[in-house]
Amino acid sequence: MNCQEFWKTMPENGIAHPHLRECAACAVRMRKQHELAAGLRTLAAHQARVEAPARVEAHLVAAFRAQAGRPSGRGAVRGWIPVGTWAAALAAMIAIGVFVVRDRAPEARRNPAKRVELASTENGFTATDTAAEEGYLPLPGAAQLVPSDDVSVVHVELPRSAMMQVGIEVNPERAGETVRADVMVGSDGLARAVRFVDVTGGD
Amino acid sequence: MRSQPQETDDELLVNIRSGDEEAFLTLYRRRQGALYRFALHMSGSAAVAEDVIQEVFLTVLRAECGYDPERGTLSGYLFGIARKLVLRQIERGRSDVVLSTETDEYAMPELAVTDDPLVDLTHREGIDALRRAVQALPRRYREVVVLCDLEEVDYADAALALGCPIGTVRSRLHRARALLLEKLKQDRSPRRAATPLHPVRCIS
Repeated sequence: MNCQEFWKTMPENGIAHPHLRECAACAVRMRKQHELAAGLRTLAAHQARVEAPARVEAHLVAAFRAQAGRPSGRGAVRGWIPVGTWAAALAAMIAIGVFVVRDRAPEARRNPAKRVELASTENGFTATDTAAEEGYLPLPGAAQLVPSDDVSVVHVELPRSAMMQVGIEVNPERAGETVRADVMVGSDGLARAVRFVDVTGGD
Repeated sequence: MRSQPQETDDELLVNIRSGDEEAFLTLYRRRQGALYRFALHMSGSAAVAEDVIQEVFLTVLRAECGYDPERGTLSGYLFGIARKLVLRQIERGRSDVVLSTETDEYAMPELAVTDDPLVDLTHREGIDALRRAVQALPRRYREVVVLCDLEEVDYADAALALGCPIGTVRSRLHRARALLLEKLKQDRSPRRAATPLHPVRCIS
């Protein structure tokens, strides 16, 4: 075996190869390779402590919880509310809205001042905040939130017809258009209140 | 469901998809160190490395993250994302600065001295020189050394991360090691001879 053949075989397995006893140049080269490998291992060992700062983990956990539909302050791993639960509630609401807009003429805003107590959320609500103060309107038939509840806010697009559910007048010609909304979801995964973004009462 | 330490990355990913926060933490803690060091070596910037790690794991959270177990391991896939993100940052001119050996982020503990005659490079001075040599490598060689030699990523995963065949990984690694030895040799011998001469005014 000549030198070229020796190095082509990727002689990673050792310094005891017969070629190295015959060829001093390759033996020196191989020794240097081993020395380099040892150095790289030591370098790796001493950099093993270098890790991402703890704040990265905190940010990612917050992102995970936000995606899972949980408020970031909760520590419990189990019992999270699947996104599908509130999505189903929302879909039901939309379906009702569509039904209503077909069969009923638009009406004036109903009971807009009805208050829904809010608990602390990732969006900065406190127990003393109210849905009305934040522009949220309670959904018909939704249970009242208690201050100890965790709530989260989901940003969605809804048909304008859904606005009628909370007593907002809707132009029938625009009922099929969509509107951005923030839906407040309780810890049980059910939608409780809604706020339509950039929409006024007479829209 | 509590994640067990022996769970594979793929099993953890399945649990993450079903909302298991602990699985996410387990995967993060298992992989973040190597990914962070890779991004740090490649970018030379702790801030960039931090952003890269965050983006890599946010990608994991996305349902359409694009990971295909048929094509390789999750680890290789994550290194591939990290590499792309680093390259993007470099293109924006945000990084690729020369790492300072004086900064705290690279401060290393004192090395254990051994009696092995072959381990000159494992002494403090040798290690510093080696680290500088790795940093001085062209990017395509640096990334393969960092992956395969420093983070002990296997060739298949490295190939997935780098988007090239395994044979290319091998050949780049050989070339990279040769360049490292060359660089170390240059550093050792003629360093003093290469010291620039300062002009002195002749008063005669």
